[in-house]
This record gives sequence, structure tokens and C-alpha cells, in this order.
Amino acid sequence: MSDSKTVVVISRDQVLTSLISKFLKGLCQIVEFATLGSSLDYIYGSNPAILLIDITSDDPTVVSMLNDLKSDPVLGHLSVFAVFGDSFVVPGWDNLLIDDYIKRSSLEAEIRSRIELSMQRAERTIEVNPLTGLPGNIQITKQIQKRLGAGDQFALAYADLDFFKPYNDRYGFSRGDEVLKMLGRLILNTVKDRQPHSSFVGHVGGDDIVFIMDCDAVEETSGKIIGYFDRIIPTFYDIEDRTKGCIESTDREGQKKVYPLIGISIGIVCNDRKHFAHYGEMAEVASEMKRFAKTVKGSCFKVDKRNPSRV
Amino acid sequence: MDSREMRSQIENIDTLPTIPSILRKLLAVIEKPKISINEIGNFIANDPVLTSRVLKVVNSPIYGFPGRISSLNQALILLGLNVVRGMLLGVSVFEAMQKTMVGLWEHSLGCAIAARIIAKKKGLKEPEEVSVAGLLHDIGKLVMGLKFPEEYGLAIAEAQKGHIFMLDAEKNQFNISHADAGGWIALKWNFPQNLVEPIEYHHKPHLSKVVPLQTAIVHFADVLTRAAGFGFSGDNFVPAVHPSVWQLLDLSDEDLKDIVSELEDSLGQAEDFLFADE
Repeated sequence: MSDSKTVVVISRDQVLTSLISKFLKGLCQIVEFATLGSSLDYIYGSNPAILLIDITSDDPTVVSMLNDLKSDPVLGHLSVFAVFGDSFVVPGWDNLLIDDYIKRSSLEAEIRSRIELSMQRAERTIEVNPLTGLPGNIQITKQIQKRLGAGDQFALAYADLDFFKPYNDRYGFSRGDEVLKMLGRLILNTVKDRQPHSSFVGHVGGDDIVFIMDCDAVEETSGKIIGYFDRIIPTFYDIEDRTKGCIESTDREGQKKVYPLIGISIGIVCNDRKHFAHYGEMAEVASEMKRFAKTVKGSCFKVDKRNPSRV
Repeated sequence: MDSREMRSQIENIDTLPTIPSILRKLLAVIEKPKISINEIGNFIANDPVLTSRVLKVVNSPIYGFPGRISSLNQALILLGLNVVRGMLLGVSVFEAMQKTMVGLWEHSLGCAIAARIIAKKKGLKEPEEVSVAGLLHDIGKLVMGLKFPEEYGLAIAEAQKGHIFMLDAEKNQFNISHADAGGWIALKWNFPQNLVEPIEYHHKPHLSKVVPLQTAIVHFADVLTRAAGFGFSGDNFVPAVHPSVWQLLDLSDEDLKDIVSELEDSLGQAEDFLFADE
């Protein structure tokens, strides 16, 4: 995860760096370097959110170093601000991979709000699963940890599909993707319909989806998700399989296998009975309950109701 | 105009307008600050245009599962309240209202109700899907009335004066029927086959291949609704039930009695919905 509160400032100009420090005081932590080269170690090691670099002089090695930095996917979140001299002519943006720029004369008036906005933008643009558009693991972790840190009471539910693999094998992965897109929409809307605020739905990957809700809403919602899913899923099968209510296939040994239609299993854990300090502990219990739900035939949800002995 | 040209003009239709009384009620519904998806759903289910709009969006490639959803309730769950609400805000009304339009709305709603009753009687797993097919079966009439209002007006007049079926009057005027037009738009909007076939073949139920039972039910529901005198489909007389449908549905006298009596009760309630002052 990136350090969202650190801005790296790179300039040989002492006056400029002290001005910037003054303007940004209290907003963020500032780490200063004289050259980009000397800052690389720090940037790769501590993953700052913003890099503010003085390009008043046209130095080609700086530009090529900057471009290398920006094209490294590990630093994909890094937002690079260039400070230009007032006479600077904007070059072709293809040759200079930066996210924003500011002219030296407008530093005082603008830099604070521009940096602030950039930090907020970084908070908003989160990695999403390309299939469902739902936020991914980093956000999921953040959302759980944030609630645990604040001492909130909440339920974490972990859902995945049963007999999804035979479906993929039979119809191909692009039909499988259709099911996942439907699943994402279905869970998102069912959760948001019951609890529009401070609920969360994230896509771990594959057919694993998690959602966070109030403890008193999660069981009813899970029941609804299951009900809707079981009614919708037959339409994702071809008419013969739908009519039969199963998929028949032959495995490598020539054995005939019969697989039921896809079902959904949901494991639920609330932190009202047990204390969790770390998201990993809570996710583990939710996933354990999901495995328990999977042992039951057909779609179902299982809530952790074990006594609050030590976890 | 040849039928290829007609087809491309019809396929260009993006949205259909509804009738004024529905729009007035609709605005009252969306303005409610706390409305549930179920409440909106119950309202939409009474209107062929709103229902077709929802199904068009949910079956569009944007959502990633085109041609899968034929149930209104499922569509609403997958779209979510915000999408549905936003979509309903854009609904317009027919500019030139023909008197027959209101009659067609009643006929469509009546057919939806009849289709659901028959589907339940036949023990179908999803009677709501058949009901949607019933609601949309005459969507081709809306499409033609919207795209070719003058010519369609002529066809209506010819059916009235010449005492012929609307279906034949359409063919005289256009060389195609509302069933063709409805099938085209249903395909264009990525509707699943269990909606496309009942729409396209509700006058030729024996041609339905994928969902013959659903198509037969919609055909029978269409005839029953006309016989009950509910709404106005454009015809002054009731057509015969296709022989293949009697065979396929295999309803006993007892079944028929049940269906007719339940239909009478339900149609009374539907009338209240359409004509009650908001």
C-alpha cells in the first residue's frame, strides 16, 4: 500500500524547496532530495503518493528517468507533479510522462489545493476488478481494517459459487464470465437495497466476492441473494441442461458425471461476539464458514455462532 | 417500402413512449423519496413500454450478460434502484395519441395477467416470464404505430371498416405484421428467446421451436383477453384458438373454468389500476 501522506520534493533550488515546505505545511510529510537519482531508492522503498519535481532547467536525463519511473507498474499509483519555470513551453506530453504541472509563479496560490486534490483523487481511484467493476483486495483489506480500527460492529460475508468449474468446462470461460458479472451486480444491488450507506461489496477474484454490512442486516440479505441467484441462474444454461436441471459430462476415465446447477455458498462472521484485531483473522473465520456452507447441498449461508472462546 | 427497409427503420427505434395516464402515475412513483425496488417493479409490470425498456437495458452488452434475462424482477435486481430510477426519468409519451393506444395498453395488461394464470395452472417454474411475454406480445403494434403513424392509422381504419383482422389489414398495408415487427425489435434489443418467440409467433404458435409451451400460453391468453372484452387489440372479433395450442396445453374443462374465473377477478383489479385517479 502506498504512503498517501508523503510528498517527495526534488529540486536543487533551496529557495524553491523551502517555499514548497512552507505552502504545504501541516498537509503532508515532505521528504526532500536534490536530484531524482538520489531519491529513487526512497521512492521504491517507501512508495510515496506524490512526487513534486522541479524541471525548470531542461535536463534530458531527468526526463528519461522520470519516464522510466512512470512506466513501472509497481509505481502505477505515483502521481508526478512538475514545477515549470514561467517561460517554460509545454512539450509534447508523449515525451514527458507526468500527471500534472504547476508554474513557479502560481505556487503560492495553488500548490496546496492541487496537492490536496491529487491526494483525494488517489483515494477515489481504486483498483477494480475488470469483470465486475467491484473494488479488489486492497480496498477489501482497507475496508475491513478501517472498521476494526474504529471499533465498529459489522458483519463480513464471504460468498463463492458451487459447481462453477463444470459450468466453465461445458460452456467456456466467456459464458463463465457472464455468470460472474451477474453475481457481482446481484450482490451489489441486494446489499445496497437493504443498506445503502456504509455497506461494501468487493471482488476478491474468480468467483469469490465479499460484502460488509450491519450485523442485523446480513442474514436477511444473504437469504435474498441466495433466493435471487437460484432463480436467475437457470437462464444461464442452455435449454436442454436447464430442463434437466443439471450438467452431464464424461470425465477422463470415461465415467459419466452429473453436476447440479451452480449454487452459492456464503460464510458470515460478525465481530459482536468475538474480538478481532486484524482483518486477516476475521477473513479467515468468514472463509471457514463459507467452507462449512459448501458442505451443505444447494445454496446456503452459515453464520459463525460458536462461543466466543479465544480465536 | 420493402420489408428490409422497414426492418432497419424499426430496428433504429431506441425507446418507446408510453401513454399519458401512465406517465402521470410514473412521476408520482419516482418522486417518492423512499421507494423500494419492489414497489417500482409492481408499477413497471403493468406497462409494456416500461417493461421493455428495463429488459432492453439489462440485456444490453454493457452489463455483460446479453439475452439472458426475461423476468422483470430479476432485471430490476440486476440493474439496481438508481439505474431504474434514472431510466424512468427519461420516459416520454406518444405525441399523437390514437384512441386505440389506450385500448392496446389494457389488452396487453390483460394478456399478461391471463398468461400468468395459465402458466401457473400448467405448473411452469417461472410464470412471471410468461406474463412478461404476454405483456409484450403486441409490442410490434406500438412500434409500427410509432414509426408509421399515418399508414398504421389506415390499417386500423381498414380493419374496422372492412371487418377483417388487424393482422390482415397490416399485411395489406405493409406486407408485414405486428408480429414480425415485434420479433425484429425484440431480437435487436437482445431479448432472450423465451420472449422473442412468443412475440414473433403469437399468431402462429406452431412455429415456435425453443419455447413452444410459453408461446402457446401467450397465444391462448391473447384470445382469452379478447373474449373477456378487456381492452382493445384492434379487432372487433375474437379469433379461433390454434388447434396446436389446444393439443399442447391439454386443459380440462375444470382447468378452463378455473382460469376464466380467476381471470375475471384479476382483470377487475387491473382496470382499477389503469383508471384509478392518481
